[in-house]
Amino acid sequence: MSNALVQIDSLCIDVKVTRTRRLTIVNSATFDVQPGQLLGLIGESGSGKTMLCRSLVGTLHRRGAYINSGSLKFNGIDLIAASPKDWREIRGKEIGYIPQSALAGPNPVMTIGAQMAEAIQLGEKMDKSVVRKRAIELLEIVQIRRPEIVLKQYPYELSGGMKQRVMIACAIAREPKLIVADEPTTGLDVTVQAEIMQLLKQIRKDLNTSIILVSHDLPLINEVCDDIVIMHAGSTVEKIPSAKIQDTRHPYTEALYRSRIDLVEPRGKLITINGQPPTVGDWPTGCRFAGRCDYAKPGCSADVEIPSIKVGPNHLTSCLRQAEIWGK
Amino acid sequence: MSVTFKSFGYEVQAVKNVDFVLPQGKVVGIVGESGSGKSTFARVLSGLQEPTGGYVTYLGAPIQDGKEIYKGELRKAVQMVFQDPYSSLNPRMRIINAVAEAVRVHQNPNKSEAQQIALDLLKRMGISEIDAFKYPSSLSGGQRQRASVARALSVQPKILIADEPTSAIDQSAQSQLLELFSELIKDGLSIVLVSHDLGVIRYLTDNVYVMQNGEFVETGSSSKIFENPSNAYTQKLIASIPSSGKK
Amino acid sequence: MSSNKAFAADASRKERLKEWVSRPGGFGIITGCLMFVTITVVGFIYPLVGPFGTDEFVGESLEGPSLAHPMGLDQLGRDVMTRVFAAVPADIGIAFLGVTIPLVIGTVVGILLGISKNKQVVSIVSSLIDGINAFPLLIIAIAMVTFLGPGLFNVVIILTLMSWARYARIARTKAVVVLQENYIEATKLMGYSKRRVISKHVAPNVSSESLAYALSDFILVIIIVSGLSFLGFAARPPMPEWGAMIADGRTFIGQAWWLTVFPGLALCWSAISLSFIVEGLSRRDRGNA
Repeated sequence: MSNALVQIDSLCIDVKVTRTRRLTIVNSATFDVQPGQLLGLIGESGSGKTMLCRSLVGTLHRRGAYINSGSLKFNGIDLIAASPKDWREIRGKEIGYIPQSALAGPNPVMTIGAQMAEAIQLGEKMDKSVVRKRAIELLEIVQIRRPEIVLKQYPYELSGGMKQRVMIACAIAREPKLIVADEPTTGLDVTVQAEIMQLLKQIRKDLNTSIILVSHDLPLINEVCDDIVIMHAGSTVEKIPSAKIQDTRHPYTEALYRSRIDLVEPRGKLITINGQPPTVGDWPTGCRFAGRCDYAKPGCSADVEIPSIKVGPNHLTSCLRQAEIWGK
Repeated sequence: MSVTFKSFGYEVQAVKNVDFVLPQGKVVGIVGESGSGKSTFARVLSGLQEPTGGYVTYLGAPIQDGKEIYKGELRKAVQMVFQDPYSSLNPRMRIINAVAEAVRVHQNPNKSEAQQIALDLLKRMGISEIDAFKYPSSLSGGQRQRASVARALSVQPKILIADEPTSAIDQSAQSQLLELFSELIKDGLSIVLVSHDLGVIRYLTDNVYVMQNGEFVETGSSSKIFENPSNAYTQKLIASIPSSGKK
Repeated sequence: MSSNKAFAADASRKERLKEWVSRPGGFGIITGCLMFVTITVVGFIYPLVGPFGTDEFVGESLEGPSLAHPMGLDQLGRDVMTRVFAAVPADIGIAFLGVTIPLVIGTVVGILLGISKNKQVVSIVSSLIDGINAFPLLIIAIAMVTFLGPGLFNVVIILTLMSWARYARIARTKAVVVLQENYIEATKLMGYSKRRVISKHVAPNVSSESLAYALSDFILVIIIVSGLSFLGFAARPPMPEWGAMIADGRTFIGQAWWLTVFPGLALCWSAISLSFIVEGLSRRDRGNA
């Protein structure tokens, strides 16, 4: 495990709400990412997955958030202690970021070419022809046809799928070791989504980049990623290889898996997860899923430390009762 | 009842020359990607937009009378739920008032009785009494969608057109909304479901129309479409659905 | 995502108030409100209950601040404090009129424009609005005063004539946006009457923006009213009014600083208190983003 690219251990992220109030958004996240691994990060809204992404890209302070405790290491570098200057060397060059397609995207007042030039140079001065050549090369990698023309276009002239491809091109411009993709295909058509997933897999293969793919869509993550980390209410509750998803050892993952709509017959009973995720900051004691869990016993809500139990190669769970429910 | 729709081109030909039938008591889905024209189509069906050519009939009679669409009592028969939960409700009106207003105008002008009817309706949609008195900004996306459904149902429509109702809300809210729709269907509501989410379409609909570039490229019962699509575009769509266990 | 415990219906009033204040901007809003209410209330009440009249000669001219006269006496022996507070109806009251009247007129016009389907009418009126907005307010006000003659009442008229266009522009822009929202389309589906839609759905959403602007405008108008009086265009002697008092006191500024400083402070107090409110509100909006 020591050659992991990213090591996150008991990470705790808080947010400053008012002068006196603090909310804990991420309570205890633990997982690591190997070089070249395609890791899926899944959770409902409010699970803390976005904050976790921000901590990896160093933009927590923009939301008034900060890391309270735990460790966050990238390639041996302690990201918590990283100064803004350190981050300028890391962001874009070592760690790339692909934003959610519906929200961010290319800057509407810049041409695609200008955007890509920015992403390629990242503040360093480079020869214009070199930059242009690299931009065209990148656009070809993301399978945009006629890149020379696209370079001169503005984002509004492109479709959602193409814009997202441009964002991917910007993210891989400096061949970072890690790419964090925060719901990159949410809001895109399903055919475009399939193509973009193919593209990410290809990039992983060709550049040996690790990719953390965040989504709320379990079937998608399951199909595309090697391993999956499931988050609920601010903690990582399970880490499991995709292939083994049916052998899950956490009730939340099981509920997520079972509630997939393609498993249900038309208008049949949809298996939904009871209740809502606990409100941020209002975390109950003990296991935070207990209130919604079918297997919960009183002991689950007691004020106990949530464990991280290894139940198989590359498989960790934090269900207190996992041994009883699924056997050893 | 049925809604038949025959239309020609529409402005930038958003919808071209389509034929569509909603048989009584059935749920029909319209699947397509963004830009396919399905939302425009839904809006014409609901009476929010006029077709440039062709006509729509409801129970055999055209819905358009001169400049007015769904005149008078007919307006209540077809209602719509929109995609964006954030703009579907008046931000300055409490949920209960938004629904009670509809009840007061159409059913019962008595303020307290109307409020009670609205409360009951909201409860059926899974919105508690406490939440009913809140403003939309205090509710989640899923709750807002259900409130919009409540408002639509308050006039007791026969047909509900749902334009991408699940696209902007999260997984668990989606399931709750879909279960709600299931129940309503069992109670006799006909639904036209417009969506790009094939899973949702498969779950809810009897018949499906596949739309591409303003035209219906394939239509049939949903089981047939999903198991044995004949059109190339439909096949491509079905193949793009991620399914667990298939690498 | 609402995460505030105070939204629970069983939170007590005190708890909810505390929560409201602790959110971003709450402190500013409360401070501003208290400050503003203080000066307004004192301004309206003090001249009625105070020991001196606004035009009474009560002592030696140009006497400095003392216990009996905390703000001193002016060159005619009048009590400055009484006059400073007596100026409130003029400064704040007139400014209030100078904001609310254009607000109402402008918002109504703006909404009507937003709704209107008549393209010609809309473009004519819009051009008119843009034209009026193009002129700098203070300059035109001065010009119009030379035309109409001085006096506070005339100032209100001038302000109304000039300012309504600003509100109309804001209201119209917001109305156009609101009319495209889904909930307005839903009213069509519900078959509501046009009257109902406008009054219950369009107007409340449009006016929230206009009101926000009005609050900022209030500050501006207070200063304009005082400014015009300072230049001699609005309030005429012996009417107490801060700008006029500052102008009068200019000549004696070396010997009797209190003649200019206290009215100036009152002016600042009013403007700052409103600024607190505006800043608090904008912080709150940003914080909730």
